[in-house]
Amino acid sequence: MKKPFELINHPKLKNPTLIIGWKEDTGNIAPKVIDIINKELDVQKFCDIDPVGYFSMAGVDVDDDYVQFPESSFYYSKRRDLVIFKSDQPVFNHYIFLNSVLDFVESFCRIKEIYTINGMISSFVHTSPRRIFSVFNNPEFQESYQSYGLEGLNWEGAPAISSFLLWVAKRRGISGLSLWLEVPFYLAEVEDSESVKLALSFLNQRFNLNMDLDELDLKIREQNEKIELLREEKAEVNKYIGFLESGMTLDEEAQIKLTKEIYRHFKG
Amino acid sequence: MGIKFHEEPRLKNTVMIVGWPGIGNIGLIAIDTLRQMTGAEEFGEIDSWDFFYPRKVIIKSGILEDMKFPTNKFYYKTFENNDLIFFIGEEQPGSKSTSSYAEGEEAYQMANLVLDVAERFECRRVYTSGAAVALIHHTMKSRVWATPNTEKLIEEIKGYQNTILMSEIEGGGGGGFITGLNGLLLGVARKRGFEGICLMGEIPVYLQGLPFHYPKASKSVLEVLGKVLKIGIDFNQFDELYKNVEKNIEDFYRQIPSNVRDQLDKLKEFGYFKQTELRPMTENSRKKLWEEISEFLKTGEKGDEKAL
Repeated sequence: MKKPFELINHPKLKNPTLIIGWKEDTGNIAPKVIDIINKELDVQKFCDIDPVGYFSMAGVDVDDDYVQFPESSFYYSKRRDLVIFKSDQPVFNHYIFLNSVLDFVESFCRIKEIYTINGMISSFVHTSPRRIFSVFNNPEFQESYQSYGLEGLNWEGAPAISSFLLWVAKRRGISGLSLWLEVPFYLAEVEDSESVKLALSFLNQRFNLNMDLDELDLKIREQNEKIELLREEKAEVNKYIGFLESGMTLDEEAQIKLTKEIYRHFKG
Repeated sequence: MGIKFHEEPRLKNTVMIVGWPGIGNIGLIAIDTLRQMTGAEEFGEIDSWDFFYPRKVIIKSGILEDMKFPTNKFYYKTFENNDLIFFIGEEQPGSKSTSSYAEGEEAYQMANLVLDVAERFECRRVYTSGAAVALIHHTMKSRVWATPNTEKLIEEIKGYQNTILMSEIEGGGGGGFITGLNGLLLGVARKRGFEGICLMGEIPVYLQGLPFHYPKASKSVLEVLGKVLKIGIDFNQFDELYKNVEKNIEDFYRQIPSNVRDQLDKLKEFGYFKQTELRPMTENSRKKLWEEISEFLKTGEKGDEKAL
């Protein structure tokens, strides 16, 4: 019988922090944040979760012209006491999957706190400053983050996998924080470099990671210039973004049109 | 994975009645109505998180306060001679991406947990209920298809009112398939030595995929259960509760293209299968009608297979 975990090596971990990013995310926030952490902090994969039982094995997805396969992997940083979990969202047995992740990080990595990174669709305009919303799974943990300028989220509705994870962690006495980065709705299907940088800046500040984020400044400039160019080319796009800048909201039809124009412009 | 009991009722000569959602929510409405009418009290539940993705999260001022899951609750009601345990599941376990009905290991585990309670309280019999998709018209009274999990119960079922066995359905030959937990539970019950009967209320074939309840069938199931269990049921209250659903079904029916509706109207004349002495249609015309209805039901359906 196959083991649920495939341990590749045994890193020496002291009291690491766990950062979790799901591979599908609004504004591509979590995948990009995790990729940059992995690059900046020289990480190595040390464990995979066997996908059987959690993902469909009826075939494979094809994306960007090549075959995809579910991935749920743990990485560790040689330079910092940090564990990264990058994963597709499970399709089956969510509770067992989430408990397995926590079993592993608790027993093998001695994790005390978990952090998830997520993008969140917002109706605001891209020229406004982004905000980070927070969800904690216990008030004491929230208390310790008073000075970080996080906004408390209010939500009653369908739960994201990160919220489910925080709930499972709470039942096990593990403190957790989900960071929700605002993404303008028309950038949700592309990538919002501004929010990516904000997430990484928070992690830099909180964990003294000293990641170099200069490259992201360039990306943000490119992103804004691209949108400006589209505004010059397309009067309708300019009108819609102008409405948003003046504090107005767009109806559903206008939102869809703007999102499609931006997607075409960015993804060509 | 487990069951929590809030109290340990003392029960005697107990029958368990189980309901999960399904086509037209026929079984669930029937069983939950009976539960409410008898004033049964909750005494336990199955932990939901092992089986279901949560339905709702409550986050206030940045604190995750609560997570709501579909419930799976047990209720009991004591009577002079026979007691009842009800089990009501708000959802069948299983991924919605593959099926809306339970299947596989989770379904088997759920069935066994429900039967663990039946065993603990020495239930002598288990009833489940669901839908029987039939070539009937919605103005007709729904019959109840009854399927026991042991041959020795067949004679008893023959005495139930407005009830037929699979072998009495034309073309069925005594065989068929009961989808989801309403069926699986009876199989597992058989394996574990419990008597079991599934009561399936008829729903017209053209209503099976619609987001409506079908209370007419639930009522037929309730009538059978009421007689078998010797429980008086207030059907005026039931009819009042679901009168809007009947109206919605009529509204939907009027929106069906007239050529198709004309064909569906023939179901009224056709009557129930196996009433051979009254049958006004030939076998060929029945086949033709079925083909036309199938064509109508297929309209708008698209395959979800991806093209490479």
